[in-house]
Amino acid sequence: MFTKPQLHLAGIFLKIFYRDRQSLIFSMLFPLIFTFAFLFADGEPDPIKLGLVNQSQNELSTQFIELVKQDPLFAVTEGGEALLREQLIAGDQTAIIVIPMSFDRLESSGQMRLLLDASQVRQVGAIQDALAAMLLAIERDILNIQPMFVLQLEDVKARPQRYIDFLLPGIIAYMLMNLCIAGSGFNIVEYRRRGILKRLFVTPIRPRDFIISIVLARMLIVIIQLSVIIALAIGLLKVNIVGGLLSLYGLIILGALIFLCIGFFLGSLAKTQESIRPIVLLFTFPQLIFSGIFFPIASLPLVIQPIAHALPLSVIATSMRDIANDGSSLFVMNLNMLGIILWILVSFFIATKFFVWRKIAN
Amino acid sequence: MYLMSIIAATNLQKFYPDPEVPGSTFAAVNTINLNIHAGEIFGLLGPNGAGKTSTLEMLEGLNEIDGGSVLIDGIDVQKDPFDVKKIIGVQLQSNEYFDRLNLSDLLILFAHLYSTSVNPTELLGKVNLENKLYAKPDDLSGGQKQRFSIACALVHDPKILFLDEPTTGLDPQAKHNLWKLVKALNKDGMTIVLTTHNMEEAEHLCDRIAIMDQGKIIAEDTPQELILKYAPDPPQTPLHGNIEDVFLALTGHGLRD
Repeated sequence: MFTKPQLHLAGIFLKIFYRDRQSLIFSMLFPLIFTFAFLFADGEPDPIKLGLVNQSQNELSTQFIELVKQDPLFAVTEGGEALLREQLIAGDQTAIIVIPMSFDRLESSGQMRLLLDASQVRQVGAIQDALAAMLLAIERDILNIQPMFVLQLEDVKARPQRYIDFLLPGIIAYMLMNLCIAGSGFNIVEYRRRGILKRLFVTPIRPRDFIISIVLARMLIVIIQLSVIIALAIGLLKVNIVGGLLSLYGLIILGALIFLCIGFFLGSLAKTQESIRPIVLLFTFPQLIFSGIFFPIASLPLVIQPIAHALPLSVIATSMRDIANDGSSLFVMNLNMLGIILWILVSFFIATKFFVWRKIAN
Repeated sequence: MYLMSIIAATNLQKFYPDPEVPGSTFAAVNTINLNIHAGEIFGLLGPNGAGKTSTLEMLEGLNEIDGGSVLIDGIDVQKDPFDVKKIIGVQLQSNEYFDRLNLSDLLILFAHLYSTSVNPTELLGKVNLENKLYAKPDDLSGGQKQRFSIACALVHDPKILFLDEPTTGLDPQAKHNLWKLVKALNKDGMTIVLTTHNMEEAEHLCDRIAIMDQGKIIAEDTPQELILKYAPDPPQTPLHGNIEDVFLALTGHGLRD
């Protein structure tokens, strides 16, 4: 399948990478930082710190306070108004509820005061809704009315899905893209500038031999790098790869092929080491936004969505999420898989067609 | 004596964009013919910018041929550049290699690229670098670097060796050492084509010289014949003057950069 010169050259690239201790250490650092960041912040929102001032001290207010305390949305501190106000100003509380003396007087509707930190405005809606629902429940309880409608939440996927579960496949896809483009695009510009490529092409090797060699070597390196993240995610963050590791790794190989080839193409476009950075950024940055890594493509404007879906990072990230979260297999032919195959063909074609090994005049 | 031609270039041309007149081109190599014999050391002598390297790179299949044709050992360079590359060894003007590889790694790599194998110790011994097997190219002196780059060009035992300004920047000792190496390789039957602007090199190393200027070959012969023909000395004193006199007489004294 591969020729001896291709395999030997691939081995040489691995040797060079292995002997480059600095990049070896740094390439392992990011997965560790990423994992620990998620280990200590599990991705769930922190509870809203709520101070409660109970001026009423009757049965009704105690009942209300119990309800608030049971809600995981809130972390409740009871105390005097003056002290809690100080904490609110210092940022140690997000809001304070003052239950008035008149809380039990049914004849006049009870007036509660909600003291807020204006900088926490985005949480006001959540606080108000939760409090309103609790007050309604208490009211019904007192008036002995059964609620007419009950809203029961049911997860259609019937399994616990955390933010990390959603995020990880996208992050893996994004890292795959960056590692690959750095591995081929940046290297090739440097090799060309220093005349190393010219020396190589004095011999009877062809551009495709060279490209296949780097792709083989870099693919192995990227698989090892991503394996560290995947192992840490499964081991420490308890992420579940529903669709199995075989499909996941199959997809990583296909994705690496696409992004390494695109990296070669970008490396051939760039004339200098200075211009490769903006060129790569121009390619990767829009994809970070439009490929559904941090928020779904469906939330983008309708006009952009078809283009967004067709981006190389989108097809890889979507497939990765399908495999990791929804238990899909790599070997199911769908529109997304078709996109992956098309991108493999296109990227290999442009990588070999436009490959430049000579120095390009400015 | 019948001399077998191993390199035959006919009406060779190379055009580059003219930096002074945007949109137009100039002929860096202007319709030249070369006939290099098997087993000789052939020198392309010329000032900077004469078109020596462009000519050499067209012969090597490294630079596109814009006009004319080249046959290397009967193989058309334009049609089968990869077949030509298999039988030639090339030393480039500047030689950079992958970082973190030692001389042994690099020689084995180059041998693999020719689908052959090499004994690095033996080959490095040939160029007097046998104790540098595990050194990096950056650790070598100028002369050692040039000898190593010749070793790289020899991994597949080529028929023809191309050397692009092999002694530029070397001290006299390193220069003489390298000439000795080239002579020895030639003695073993290798055809050697080199470019130079070092007169001494052209005179003492080359069997025949072609003098290039402004993309054209303006004279071609053995050093002795060229001196007889062009050296501006009284005819009653045979071979007075040297190739430098010939060179300056032909190309003028103007500074070339």
